[in-house]
Amino acid sequence: MKRYALSLVCAACLSTDGVAGLKPCTTCESDGGLRSTSNVVQAFRPATAGAQSDNSSNTTLTAVDGIKVGSFTLPGGTTGCTVILVDGEGVPGGVSQRGGAPGTRETDLLNPLNMVDKVNAVVLSGGSAFGLDSATGTVKWLEEHHIGWDVRVTRVPIVPAAILFDLPIGNNARNHPGPDCGYQAVESATTAPVTMGTVGAGAGATVGKMGGAGTSMKGGLGSAALRMPNGLVVAAIVAVNAAGDILDPDTGKVIAGARKADGTFADARTLLRSGALAQRRAQTPRAVENTTIGLVATNAKLTKAEVSRMALMGDDGYARAIFPSHTMGDGDTVFSLATGKWDGQADVSLIGALAADAMARALVQAVTQATGLPNIPAVRDLKK
Amino acid sequence: MKLWMFAVLALAATAELAPKRQQREGGRPGVNNTLTAIPGIKVGHHTLTERPTGCTVVLIEGGATASVDVRGAAPATRDTDLLNPAKMVEQIQGIALSGGSIFGLSTADGVLKYLEEKNVGIAYGRRRIPIVPGASIFDLGVGDASVRPTADCGYRAAQAATDAAVVEGSVGAGTGATLGKLGGMERAMKSGVGSAAIVMPDGVIIAALVVVNPVGDVIDPATGKIVAGVRAEGRPGFADARVMMRSGVPRVNRGDNSTIGVIATNATLTKAQASYLAQMTDDGYARAIWPIHTMVDGDTVFAIATGGKPGAPDMMTIGALAADVMATAVVRAATQATGLPNLPAVRDLK
Repeated sequence: MKRYALSLVCAACLSTDGVAGLKPCTTCESDGGLRSTSNVVQAFRPATAGAQSDNSSNTTLTAVDGIKVGSFTLPGGTTGCTVILVDGEGVPGGVSQRGGAPGTRETDLLNPLNMVDKVNAVVLSGGSAFGLDSATGTVKWLEEHHIGWDVRVTRVPIVPAAILFDLPIGNNARNHPGPDCGYQAVESATTAPVTMGTVGAGAGATVGKMGGAGTSMKGGLGSAALRMPNGLVVAAIVAVNAAGDILDPDTGKVIAGARKADGTFADARTLLRSGALAQRRAQTPRAVENTTIGLVATNAKLTKAEVSRMALMGDDGYARAIFPSHTMGDGDTVFSLATGKWDGQADVSLIGALAADAMARALVQAVTQATGLPNIPAVRDLKK
Repeated sequence: MKLWMFAVLALAATAELAPKRQQREGGRPGVNNTLTAIPGIKVGHHTLTERPTGCTVVLIEGGATASVDVRGAAPATRDTDLLNPAKMVEQIQGIALSGGSIFGLSTADGVLKYLEEKNVGIAYGRRRIPIVPGASIFDLGVGDASVRPTADCGYRAAQAATDAAVVEGSVGAGTGATLGKLGGMERAMKSGVGSAAIVMPDGVIIAALVVVNPVGDVIDPATGKIVAGVRAEGRPGFADARVMMRSGVPRVNRGDNSTIGVIATNATLTKAQASYLAQMTDDGYARAIWPIHTMVDGDTVFAIATGGKPGAPDMMTIGALAADVMATAVVRAATQATGLPNLPAVRDLK
C-alpha cells in the first residue's frame, strides 16, 4: 500500500517523466519531503473506484470523459490532420491565440462576448492556410450525423480549427490536407489513447529552426493527462512545429532543438544572445515558418469565460516547454474544452495551472514520440 | 520638517537594502544591469515608513512608444486602454507601479503633477498632458491596510528617479510584496523588486523591472528548481505549489497577489510591436512563476521602446530575450528581498 501511495506521489509531481512513463520519476524523491507531508500523501490515495477505472491507464487527451480523437495522415506520411471530437451536443470552448502568424477559423465565435457557447469538434491540421479546409470535412461528417448548433432548418456544426506550416517537408507544397482528411480523421475518432508522434497534424511538424538549414529536428503530435484524486482530469494535445527548441521545464534542459555541426544542441537561448541569429536573418530575410497548435480539455463544468481563462493559462505550457515561443513566425494557438462530465467542484485557477502543466508535458511527448524523416532526426534518433 | 524626515528615512532604508550587484546573463561587473541601462529611462522608489508599502516610478521624459499585456484575472490598472495599438496616443512619459491595491493607483496622480511641473507630456495648446499608466499589487495584508501609497508617494518617487542602477529588493512598490501564498500568509515568503538587462552585440538593450507578488512560487527556469515559495510545514524547504495544487490541498480563493512589470528596449518599435513585445515578455512570468495568470493574480506587463537605436528591429530576438530577461528579473526580486517578521526572504533561509 505504501508503495502504491509513493507511485501516486511520483505521478503527481512535476517530473515530465512520471506520468509519461518514459523513465522512473526521480524528481519528487530528490526533493524529499513529499511523503512526510501527511495531507499530500492522503490526497494521493487511489481515486475512488468507479466510472473511469477502465480508462485509468490512459495518459492522453482521451482520458477526459466525453472526448474522442482521430488522426489522418496523408499518403507519403508528411502531413495530415487531427480531430478532437466532442460527445453529444457540444461543450463550452475557448481559445488563446498568441503567436504572431496564425492560421485559424471560427476562433472569433469563441470570444466569451459572442453567442455560441457549444463546440462540436476542433481540427488541427498541417498544410498552412490550405489545411484550414480540413475542417470542411469534419463539418460535413457532423452534419451527416445531425450534430451542431440548432438553427431549426438544419444543424450548424461548430468546428474551430488551426493550422501549422509544414509546406517545405516532403511533397507538402502540392499535397495539402483537405476536406477528405478532416472527414477521415473524425470518422476514425475514438476514446482509445491518442496515437502520438509523426502522425496527423504532427506528421510534417519540425522544431529547432533557429540554427539554419539542416539543423532542425522532428516535431510531432503529443498528448498528456493529469488526474486528480477527486476525479478531476485535465489533459492536453499538441502538434508542435515551433521555431524554438523544446525544453524540459523540470530541468531547463533542451530535449530537441537546433543542432550544431557536432550534433549537440546549439541552444536557442545562446544563439539569440550571441546576435548570430539577427545577423543571419539580416543577410537572408525570410519569414520563419512554424506554429504550435494544441488543445487543453477538462471533464469539469466551466462557463465560456472560465474555459477561455483555461486556454490562456494552458498557453503558459508553451512558454515553459518552448524557447522561444509566441514569436512573430509562430502562429501559436491553444483551444480549450470543458466537457462537464464530472460534477465535482474545482476552481479555474487550479484547472488552468494543471492545463499549463499538461500542455508542457504533451510538448515533451510530441518530440520524444516522434519518428524522424530524411535529414530531420527525431529525439530517438540521437545518440544517447 | 516631517517631510524631510521621511526622505531621510527612505534613503537610509534603500541604502541599507542596496544589493551587492552580481554578474548575470549579459551583465558585466560594475555595469548597470538594470532597467536604467537604457538611456532615457529613470527609476525612482518611495518607501512608506508607516507600514511596508510604497511605489516605484519609471520616467521616460523624452517619451517612449508603449503598450501593455494584462493576462492576470484580477488586475488593478489605469490608462491601459490607451495603450491598445488601435488607440491614438503613441507615447507615454511615465509608469507608476505601487502597492496598496486599487487605492495605490492614485500614485500616478503624483507622477502627473511632477511631470506637468516639468512641462513634460503631450502638447495641448500651451499645456502638456503627461501620460502615465499604472498598475498596483495587493499588499494590504502586510501590516495596517489603511496605509496606502498616495499621490504624494508617486511625486516623491518621481523626484527620486535617477538613471543609476535600480535598487532592488524590498523597496518601493515591492516593499509589501510577498510570494508563495498557496498555503496562506503563514507559510509565504517576502518578495520585492527585481531588475535585469541584456546588452546585444549590436547595441540593442533589453531590460526588465518587476514587482513580484504572485500567489505562486518563483522557479529558476534554468534549472526548474524553486527559488522561493510556500514553505514546508515542520521541516526546512519548500512545499512546492505544483505538488500542493495536485494534492487538492489549497483553494486559490484570495486576491492577495499580482505581478506587475516593465519591459523596455532602446530599439525603435511601432505601438503594435510594443504590444507584441509585452505579450512575449509575459512568457517570462510563465517560466519563472508557478502558477501564474490565475483568477487571483492581476499580472500585467508594460512595454516601452525609447527609439534611441534607429533601424528596423529584429522582433524575434528582442521578444525572445525580453521573456528571458523578465524571468531573470523575477528571480532577482525573490533573491534580493529582505524579510519581515514571519515573512522570511530567500537570504533568511540560508
